[in-house]
Amino acid sequence: MAEAMAESYNRDSEPTTRTLLRRVLDTADTRTPRRRRSARVSAQKALLETPSSRRLSSPTKMNVRRRSHRARSIGRLAHVHTSGNLEEQTPRTLLKNILLTAPESSVMMPESVVKPVPTPQVVQSSRRESSRGSLELQLPELEPPTTLALGLLAPGRRKQRQRLSVFQQGMDQGLPLSQEPRGNGSASSLTSSLNLTFATPLQPQSVQRPGLARRPPTRRAVDVGAFLQDLRDTSLALASPGDSLRTPVATLPTDTVLEDTQPFSQPLIGRSPSVYHSLPCLSHTEAEDAERAVSHRIQSSGPRLQNHNPGKPTQLLAGKAKKVDALAVSFPNNSSAVSGEDGVEPLQDGVGEEAEERMEESLSVSKVMATTGTQGSVRMEKSKGHREMTEAAEAKEPEGSSGASPELASSTTEFLQARQPQFLEPAPPPSTAVLSSEPLEPLSTRLPPRARTPGPRARTPGPRPRQDPHKTGLSHYVKLFSFYAKMPMEKAALEMVEKCLFYPNPFGSLDKYFQHLCDDLEVFAAHAGRKTVRPEDLELLMRRQGLVNDQVSLHVLVERHLPLEYRQLLIPCAFSGNSVFPAQ
Amino acid sequence: MAFSTTVSQRKHIKRKAPRGFLKHVFKRQKPHLRLETSGDLLVHLNCLLFVRRLAEESRMNAFESKCGVIKKEHVQAAAKLFFSPTQPELRGMKENC
Repeated sequence: MAEAMAESYNRDSEPTTRTLLRRVLDTADTRTPRRRRSARVSAQKALLETPSSRRLSSPTKMNVRRRSHRARSIGRLAHVHTSGNLEEQTPRTLLKNILLTAPESSVMMPESVVKPVPTPQVVQSSRRESSRGSLELQLPELEPPTTLALGLLAPGRRKQRQRLSVFQQGMDQGLPLSQEPRGNGSASSLTSSLNLTFATPLQPQSVQRPGLARRPPTRRAVDVGAFLQDLRDTSLALASPGDSLRTPVATLPTDTVLEDTQPFSQPLIGRSPSVYHSLPCLSHTEAEDAERAVSHRIQSSGPRLQNHNPGKPTQLLAGKAKKVDALAVSFPNNSSAVSGEDGVEPLQDGVGEEAEERMEESLSVSKVMATTGTQGSVRMEKSKGHREMTEAAEAKEPEGSSGASPELASSTTEFLQARQPQFLEPAPPPSTAVLSSEPLEPLSTRLPPRARTPGPRARTPGPRPRQDPHKTGLSHYVKLFSFYAKMPMEKAALEMVEKCLFYPNPFGSLDKYFQHLCDDLEVFAAHAGRKTVRPEDLELLMRRQGLVNDQVSLHVLVERHLPLEYRQLLIPCAFSGNSVFPAQ
Repeated sequence: MAFSTTVSQRKHIKRKAPRGFLKHVFKRQKPHLRLETSGDLLVHLNCLLFVRRLAEESRMNAFESKCGVIKKEHVQAAAKLFFSPTQPELRGMKENC
C-alpha cells in the first residue's frame, strides 16, 4: 500500500491539490458545521493514525507546489486524492494537528469545488466517506459511529467506497495503476474495468469503460474552477495567514483520508457506483440521460464484477473477474434495459418509483440469467439476490442491498438515487455466494420480528375455563328462549325456564321437559319392541305434541328450524352414484 | 324492576345444536336405550320447538298482564299448560289446531 501511495504521489501533481484543499478548508469551516462533526469524530477517535501521518507529509510538500501550480490544480484536482495516499510518510504529530483542524475544512470545501448548487452535498458526503473509510481501514470498529454522523452524506461515502474497493483490488492484484485513476475517479473506473474492479466503470456511466473514466475527471475539472473561485472568495473574506496555513494541512488529510479509505473500504464498493450515478444525475441534464443509458450497460456489468470482488476479496478476484466478464457479456441486453430505467430513476426522487423499477430490473435480470444459462449456481445466487433486492425495495430500507446498511440508514434523495445502482449491482453479483448470503441474513433477521408481532396478538386468548357441558347446553336453550320471547325478561324467569327444561319443578306441577321426553321415547321404543330410539319415535312424539300434523311434516319442521348442515343429515336426498343419504 | 334483574332480548343466537349435551342427557336419563344416529338432532328440534312455544306462551302471559318484561310467573303459567298432569302432549296439539 505505502509503495503504491508513494508512486501515485510522485506522479500526480500533489501540490495543486494541497493548495486547493487549503482553500477549501477555509471555506468549508465557515459553511458546513456537519462535515466538521464527522471529521471531528474521526479525529477524536484517533483511529486514523496512519492517514493522519500521510496527511501531514503531503501538506508540507504540497503547500509549495500548490501555490505555484494553482492553474494546474484545477485540472489536477482528481489527482489530489492520489496524492493523499502518498502523504503517509509524514510524521504523525503533524497529522494529529491536521486531524484536529481537518474536520472543519473537509466539510465545506467539496461543495464549492464540484457544482456549487446540486453537487456540494455529494462532494461533502464523499469527503466524509473518505474520512469514514480511513477510519474503517485503520479501525473498523469505529466505523459505525462515524457512519451515523455521516449518514446524511451517503452518496459521497459511496464514491469513496468505490475508490477504496478499486484501490484494494489493485493492491491485491499488484496493480499500481489503479490508484492513480482512483484519484480522478474516471481513471479508477478505467483501471477497474481493465483489471478486476468492475465497479468503477459503473460510476462514470459513460458509454464505454474508457468514456466512463474520462467523464468524472471532466466534472471534477469544472468543479475545480468553481472551487478555486470559491476558495479565493472565501480566502479573501475569511483568510488570515494562520488560517491559510491550517487549511492546507486540513485539506491534505481529508484527501489522504479519502484515498486511504478507498482501498480499504471493500464492502462499500457496491455503494460507490451508486454515488457516481447520483453525481452525474445532479450535474448533468436530461440530455445526458441518453448517454447514461448506454453507459448503464457498462455500469451494470461493472457492479456485477465489483460484487464478485467484494464478496470474495482480492484473491479470488482474478478467477471471478473472468466469470464476471462472461456474465457481463451475456447480460448486456439486460443491463441496458436496467440502465435505462436507472437513468430515468435518479432524476426522480420518489422512492416508491425507484422501488418498483428495481423490482422490474431484478425481474429482467433474472430472466436474462435464465436465458443465458451460463452458470446454474450463479443463477440460483442471482435469484436469491433478486429476492433480497425486491424485499429490500419493498421495505425501502437502504441497508438491505449491502452489508453497510447502517451507514445508509440516513437516506437523502441522493441516497435514494445511489440505491438504484446498488440494487442492480447486488442482483448481478449474486454469483458470489458471500454477497448473496450477506443480504439474506439481514432479511432473515428482519422477517422474524414481523412474524413475531402478529403472533402475540393471535395468542391473546388464554385457556378458557372449562365450563360444565350440561350448563352450557342448558344455557343454549335458555338463550333460545330469550330469543323467541322477543322481549326483555327477568333473570328469575330464565331460571324458571331452566327448571322447566331439566329440573324438577319446586311447585310440583311442573316437571322436567327432558324427563318427559325421555320417558315418552322409551315407551315408544318399547312398544315397537326396540331398545333403540329411532327417528320414527321422535316423529310420533312430535305428532303427539301437535308439532307434526297432516299439514306440517317433520321434514318441513326440520327445514324451517334447523340449519342446512343438520337438514342434510335428517332429510333423505339423492346424490350422485344412485345413492340416497341418509339411507332410508 | 331493577335493571340488573332484567335480561334484554338476544339479537343473535347460535343455530348449532349441542349434540353432545343432548346425547349425554338422554344417556343419563335412559342408560339402557340407544339413540339412533341423528336422533339427537330430532331431539334438538323438539326441544327447540318446545322452547319456542314456551317463550311465546310466556310472552302472551306477559302481554295479558300488561307487563313489558317476562316475569317468573309468566313462564310458570306457560309451563303449567305443557306439563299439566293430564295429557301434557294434547295441550300443545289443541293449541296448534
